[in-house]
Amino acid sequence: MIELALILISAIFVNNFVLARFLGICPFLGVSKKVETALGMGMAVTFVMTVAAVVTWFIQYFILIPFNIEYLQTIAFILVIASLVQLVEMVIQKVSPVLYQSLGIFLPLITTNCAVLGLAVLNIQKGYSFLESIVFAIGAALGFTLAMVLFAGLRERLDLCPVPKSFRGTAIALVTAGLLSLAFMGFAGLVKG
Amino acid sequence: MLAAVISLGGIGLSAAVALGLAAKKFAVESDPRELAVLETLPGANCGACGYPGCSGYAKMVVSGDKLAAVCPPGGQEVMEKIANIMGFAPITTDPQVAVVRCQGDNAKAKLKYTYIGVTDCVAAQKLADGPKLCPGGCMGLGTCARICPFGAIEMTAENLAVISREKCTGCGKCVASCPRQVIELTPLDATTHVLCNSHDKGALIRKYCEIGCIACQICKKNAPDAYVIEDFLARVVYEHHLETGPGVEKCPTKCIRDFAGGYPQGSSFAPPTCAMPPQKVA
Amino acid sequence: MKLKTFPGGLHPPDNKQWSAHKPIETCPLPAELIVPLSQHIGAPAIPCVAAGDVVKKGQVIGEAKGFVSVPVHAPTSGTVAAVEDRLHPMGKLLPAVVITPDGDDAWGELPAPLDVQSASVNELRDRLRDCGIVGMGGATFPAHVKLSPPEEKPIHTLILNGVECEPYLTADHRLMLEDAERILDGVAILQKILGVKQTYLGIEANKPDAIALMEKACAGRAIEVVPLEVKYPQGAEKQLILAIAGCEVPSGGLPMDVGVVVQNVGTCAAVADSVLRGIPLIERIATVSGPGIKEPKNLKIRIGMKLSHLVEQCGGLNGEPAKIIMGGPMMGMTQLSLEVPATRGTSGLLLFTADNVPLRPEGPCIRCGRCVRACPAHILPTTIAAYARLDLFEEAEQFNAMDCIECGCCTYSCPAALPLVQAIRHAKGAILAQRRKV
Repeated sequence: MIELALILISAIFVNNFVLARFLGICPFLGVSKKVETALGMGMAVTFVMTVAAVVTWFIQYFILIPFNIEYLQTIAFILVIASLVQLVEMVIQKVSPVLYQSLGIFLPLITTNCAVLGLAVLNIQKGYSFLESIVFAIGAALGFTLAMVLFAGLRERLDLCPVPKSFRGTAIALVTAGLLSLAFMGFAGLVKG
Repeated sequence: MLAAVISLGGIGLSAAVALGLAAKKFAVESDPRELAVLETLPGANCGACGYPGCSGYAKMVVSGDKLAAVCPPGGQEVMEKIANIMGFAPITTDPQVAVVRCQGDNAKAKLKYTYIGVTDCVAAQKLADGPKLCPGGCMGLGTCARICPFGAIEMTAENLAVISREKCTGCGKCVASCPRQVIELTPLDATTHVLCNSHDKGALIRKYCEIGCIACQICKKNAPDAYVIEDFLARVVYEHHLETGPGVEKCPTKCIRDFAGGYPQGSSFAPPTCAMPPQKVA
Repeated sequence: MKLKTFPGGLHPPDNKQWSAHKPIETCPLPAELIVPLSQHIGAPAIPCVAAGDVVKKGQVIGEAKGFVSVPVHAPTSGTVAAVEDRLHPMGKLLPAVVITPDGDDAWGELPAPLDVQSASVNELRDRLRDCGIVGMGGATFPAHVKLSPPEEKPIHTLILNGVECEPYLTADHRLMLEDAERILDGVAILQKILGVKQTYLGIEANKPDAIALMEKACAGRAIEVVPLEVKYPQGAEKQLILAIAGCEVPSGGLPMDVGVVVQNVGTCAAVADSVLRGIPLIERIATVSGPGIKEPKNLKIRIGMKLSHLVEQCGGLNGEPAKIIMGGPMMGMTQLSLEVPATRGTSGLLLFTADNVPLRPEGPCIRCGRCVRACPAHILPTTIAAYARLDLFEEAEQFNAMDCIECGCCTYSCPAALPLVQAIRHAKGAILAQRRKV
């Protein structure tokens, strides 16, 4: 029980996928202009990460290892993640066209998002059991959402400030992201590994 | 080898089947022409057409199967493309540009009071009708420049708004934003305009502005068809814009300007080169 | 003993020593009176006289239009010189009735005095409307409307505003010292109209003589005098209710939502005049003060007197005025010239010379938070103003821009000299315009 809690905390704070592992920077910078869009994106990624973790865990331990074809890991995982993202895109377009419009190109970009593939691969690397990999996936997704929402809040505030001309736009966003990442370094050492 | 092919193929096939089923269940109706029309539009979401953004306009065109409004920033080019996509008859547009009808910057026009506050024309107008003595002149605090989606308006150092004829697409947002209605949409090919917006009598105008229209009627006497004086203010009759030359020459306060010769003093825009009509030989 | 107060607010120097000890002087009639037809919140009055008409003091010269409106009366007897556009305190040319006094100052036919005990509530309210009684604290809201709350909002408390928190102004202070009986007669009438259970009179602790006098006068009249901590804007309605009654008026709501009505002491005196003597609201007390005037005074002025006339009565100008304020320095209205007439809401005239008005250049917002700490309405002036400057009015509304009471505490405390109240007012105007469009 305690290990699961530690995995969760580690994934959300200590080794935050965006701010500590630097995975998934593309949607982090692209969808974080408004808090609502950031939240919507976070929820989409949560769904994809969790289901991807489950499916890839099964594929790894029931197909790839028994048949000795571990070298197909990358292709097989990407295949699964791509189909999942396509599914999520269809559902969002039907259920919430507004969110679909505001996410725009970033929704299909979850497919090639290193955060999702990184999660799937890390699960295998760390040799997590089924339950552990689900908890890790949820933690990773929550950490991703947390980082995005925090950053979106910061960017909304930045819009109100008289930023010097040479810093406006992406420049100040990257500086802020770096500072946020530094802030999360405060959690370092909280959980071993 | 076989195991690899079968397992990968198996995963792919099951994914395909799942997606196929999902596509049926979560299908969303959409006309492919809407996307095609949307792609031709400038994408500025300025609302000049009267519809909510470019996607709203595209929806109107495709669902209504007709053109209820033109897209001014898109101009003739975009209208032709849309006509092609939708199979409409060719459409012609009358391109327009916005003009700030005032040259009375801080160097030329007098103020009622020193204004200290929010740099916004609407806010300043609320304080005793604005800091300028002239009731119709441009206050130069930049409300129009901020609202222009195409960056076509600049504020000179002496607080005067000037609109670039090349960048302006005639969307009309500045016209609506000006609290004194100084900005007017004019035909693109007319380059001469009377740059004054005050209906006060000439004697009063002389007291507060060096470059206002005093309704002396000299322009009308020299080019009778090209100018009309209404309520102590001269105006160019745009149907006769090619005959305005003599008025520009003889105007005593120099409030009539031919933009072909350049923009008002203080502007950083180079004299416009586009849409210059052939000058009538005097 | 700790005095009651409200959270937030500031302590600007109160500068009341210039005129607090000066008894009220009656201002003589000028050669011309300009009576604007829009002197109150609500629709302006419609003129019912024409050039050349002879009018008597107290005669109706402008009729009320609509429910939230009161008639306008002639401040003296004389001839109507013209009904034309004249410069109004709001800075625009607005319709006004120009009267040339004949020197007799003769009353016309006034409505008969009412007996408070036997008159009905409706009769009393109608009398207030007919006599043009509006809030004299500066807001000029028609009193009969404030005293007609809907049935589902019963009023149980009446609070009298003797606070006068604006610096320099001492008109209400002198009124309480010199004319307490008139005020209390008016309170009795209000108590009858509203049928309240308790009545409070709030006075700031910087007026100990007024507190002592009113405590003695209110004995046996079911009015409790509440001394309040000296802080601006204690005299603002919502802050006064919070300090005295302890309840907070809900966001977007009015005092009647918590069962309270607030009235200025000057309004009470005017109410007494209208009911007991049939006299309409044609004169009021105004403080003329500031470093730009030779002899600061508290004057009893007639509506329509030009500010230049008031300046003459006070020994003239002390140098070229750089800023002319009608009202108090925090919420008053800057004037373009002294040729503007006084209206029913003119609580003061302040004159400042150029060295009193430092022109500090505007700097960037450094998010120091002084405005947030000072704001008595618990909103975020810095954020709302930032959104207003970017024309993002929906976000400004989300941050409760409409709850701003425009007291000026934020602008006063801003070290960067940012025009915060103006930016918030700009946002409020845009939000209201958007609401009207939808």
